[in-house]
Amino acid sequence: MKISQKILYLETKNFLLGKTVLIVAISLVLFGIYGFYHGSKIIDRQQKTIQSVAQVQKNHLDSIVAHGTGKPAGTTAYYPFFYTFHPATPWAKFSIGQRDVNPFTLKVKMLAIEGQLYDSELTNPLTLLVGNLDASFVFIFLFPLLIIAFTYNAISEEQENGVWKIVRTTTESITSAIVNKLVVRLAIILVTSLLIFMAGVLYLQLPFSYPTLQLGLVLLIYILFWFTISVFVISLGKSSSFNATTLVSIWIFLCILYPGIANVAVNSRVPVPEASETTIKQREGYHAKWDLPKKPTMEKFYAVYPQYRKYPIPDDKYSPGWYYAMQFSGDLESAHSSEKLFEKLFQRQKLSENIAAFNPVISAQQLLNKIANTDLTSHIRYLQSTKAHHKQIREYFYPFIFEESPTESIDWAGYPEYQPAGYSQDNLTGAQITMLIWTAVGLGISILLFKRNFIHIKDVQNA
Amino acid sequence: MHLKFIQIIGRQEWNSIFRSKIPLALYAVLLTVSLLATFTGWQYVSKFNQQQAAAREEVHDHWMTQPNRHPHRVAHYGYLVFREKSPLSFFDFGLDSYVGNSVFLEAHRQNTVNMSEAGFSNGMLRFGELSMALVLQVLVPLFIIFIGFHTVAGLKQNGVLKILLCQKASYLDILLGKTVGITLVTWALFLPLLMVSLLTGVISLSAGFNSEQLMRSALIVLLYGLYFLVITLLVVAVSAMSANARNSLMALVLVWILFFVVVPKSAQTLGSSIFAAPDKIAFEQAIEAEVSKEGDSHNPNDPHFSELKAATLKKYGVDSLQALPVNYGALVMQEGENISSRIFNKHFDQLIGAYKAQNSISNYLSFTDPFLAIRNVSMNLAGTDFDTFTEFQKQTEKYRFEKTKNLNEIHLTQISYKDDSKQKVSARNFQQQAEFKFKPLTIKASLAHGAVSLVALFIWVLAGLASLTFISSKRAYQL
Repeated sequence: MKISQKILYLETKNFLLGKTVLIVAISLVLFGIYGFYHGSKIIDRQQKTIQSVAQVQKNHLDSIVAHGTGKPAGTTAYYPFFYTFHPATPWAKFSIGQRDVNPFTLKVKMLAIEGQLYDSELTNPLTLLVGNLDASFVFIFLFPLLIIAFTYNAISEEQENGVWKIVRTTTESITSAIVNKLVVRLAIILVTSLLIFMAGVLYLQLPFSYPTLQLGLVLLIYILFWFTISVFVISLGKSSSFNATTLVSIWIFLCILYPGIANVAVNSRVPVPEASETTIKQREGYHAKWDLPKKPTMEKFYAVYPQYRKYPIPDDKYSPGWYYAMQFSGDLESAHSSEKLFEKLFQRQKLSENIAAFNPVISAQQLLNKIANTDLTSHIRYLQSTKAHHKQIREYFYPFIFEESPTESIDWAGYPEYQPAGYSQDNLTGAQITMLIWTAVGLGISILLFKRNFIHIKDVQNA
Repeated sequence: MHLKFIQIIGRQEWNSIFRSKIPLALYAVLLTVSLLATFTGWQYVSKFNQQQAAAREEVHDHWMTQPNRHPHRVAHYGYLVFREKSPLSFFDFGLDSYVGNSVFLEAHRQNTVNMSEAGFSNGMLRFGELSMALVLQVLVPLFIIFIGFHTVAGLKQNGVLKILLCQKASYLDILLGKTVGITLVTWALFLPLLMVSLLTGVISLSAGFNSEQLMRSALIVLLYGLYFLVITLLVVAVSAMSANARNSLMALVLVWILFFVVVPKSAQTLGSSIFAAPDKIAFEQAIEAEVSKEGDSHNPNDPHFSELKAATLKKYGVDSLQALPVNYGALVMQEGENISSRIFNKHFDQLIGAYKAQNSISNYLSFTDPFLAIRNVSMNLAGTDFDTFTEFQKQTEKYRFEKTKNLNEIHLTQISYKDDSKQKVSARNFQQQAEFKFKPLTIKASLAHGAVSLVALFIWVLAGLASLTFISSKRAYQL
């Protein structure tokens, strides 16, 4: 065995024999397992609910039709709900993201849509506040701590107990001594993370496909980033206590303070008063029509659906065609603020992506949520698919409503099937490259500092 | 125990903290962050409340200026209620961002409170929100760790501890003196700041002098003072048990991670997996099933409503619905409302019960994690807690029920059964209805909800003092 190999072997052995390494690695594995368990539990429950939707829908329609027998379709059409759902991708178990905050099933009537889109899911707000302990939390929050625990005293401990001086005087190359120490630690960190990641892939039954690969890639870059941060602090050549304090402070800054401040910035830069405005406008837009002449309302409706002009709308009494035209114009009147709301939400997304460019922690979390399709953008896609379904349903039932067909004569379940928003493969490269740049910059600075603080150092008395 | 020694050591600790630069630098960072947090929090809450108040006014204006309408149409026109934030929420955001901000109240249906801030967030919110409470709960303990980890362990390392012990001071005196010194420093640095922020914030947000809010503020200051004492006791105890400053720092950082990251998250996820709560579909299905079992107002042959019909006819001594002096349709509608509201409330209480059971894990774990204790009590006092939001939901449902009942009453007496839908009543009827006004929990109720955490905080102080006494009696910890 060559000397250099032997040193590497001894270094590995020396590092692995430390008590901290074992404890930290085991606790992280345990958290990983709990994270997988928690993630699959939450998502499995959601999926189970989603699977029950078809039956719920069928029973619901059956009972509505049974009640409506003998009445015209226009009367019965007021009652049924139509369910839509947001199926979870396989990767949602890894990164639950916003799936616990946003509803994953919605039910809409044929009435104006805007007031029905923002119904919330029933959830315990304290659970939402505390957040999920899923695999992404383990990797994003806890893994940096493992990296810190593994590396903070890589050199300083030997300096503190005097071994470093012996190393310096006996080794041929101080550079390779430092590189050895770091490489051993990096290798063990990577092996631990790979093991936990593979365990996650198996436990969560993630498909061996491109998104899984992307997931692994993001985590790899993220781990390299934190390792570089550690190497940077080590390269300052200070004491173990200093390193630990500094690294924990950096962790707190990147994981808690920075996102906290960024969040305030996003909320105040892009406020969303449109949320309540949309609801108010839609409600007024529809209800005011009752007290107005019917013709203008109908004209708005005919502008989009001219084929119904042939059905007479009596001017002095209620008719179902008029009722649904009123609902439709409620939506028309709130369409502007609704569009603006979506636009604002995209602005928020964009702004926070820009902010994340300066903080790989946020960036990595956003990437994981993107891959898992559990972010706000994915939820907006779901809302849009619900809107599209609402339109399909209205258009399916309009002819029966205007014809005043009897309830029992039409196929209530014959409307076009709901098309859930499919998996969206978003562009991840930009954010990944930014994270890599930060890593490279960190590494470059560290190398310079190592040269200054460790290699080109003249022996000073009592150093 | 010698008070004089404790005093001397305390003063010495105070002086030594202020002599070095690092604590002041850290303090400068924390001061900046907490001023920023307070200011942005205050700005956000006042802007938000203005927005909500404007929306409330708009809805109220629409309501008051509506033309003559059929009362049942007004029941469907419904009402929108906008939740406003409590004056102290600028200090502790609590659950505010995760609960809905507006609810649509209409006949027949209990809608969810929608439009939460979290629903419009792309996930950055989940890292935690920057509020003054966050700074005090999470970052100040870290500050205490950084200024205090070497307080006893350092003395062991440089041999000063032995010299001190050779003099008249007992080990307990030294530990207590250290605790007093560090606690007084944190109190002096943070409590006046907290007090001033709370006072300015509360007075400007609640537009004037409000004794209830001031009392809450005073309690908050008191409890945070207690919390800092608990953390200091913990830091001094760990420092006294460690052989050197480095071990002490490592142990304390580990404890910090446990207390602030690991335990809270595990507690809540554990709670929600032990006590399952229904999701929305299951919740609604259960209510629907029970309502249709009780009585179905759409079904002409339903036994419950046949009975109502027979009883009504008998009561007025007539033999047909047309001959009744009141509108039977309204009567049926109100009966349907009574049934569904009763069943909804029952299920809603069960749901809240399930959530409370989930939250109880975090409540009881306050005895193992002082952060949970202060987090819970702080939310209770700031009015951003689970119980305040539940109260909001209950009050809006009550208001919805009363309003609908009132409209059905008008329908019953002023609309005749024949040609029901063609009639209208004067808008004055609707204008007389009271506006919704949220009545917040009383301070007594808030404290009762936080009782477990409150007790836990006091137990922590006692346990801290007891452990210092214990540590001081062990020779091993003096070396």
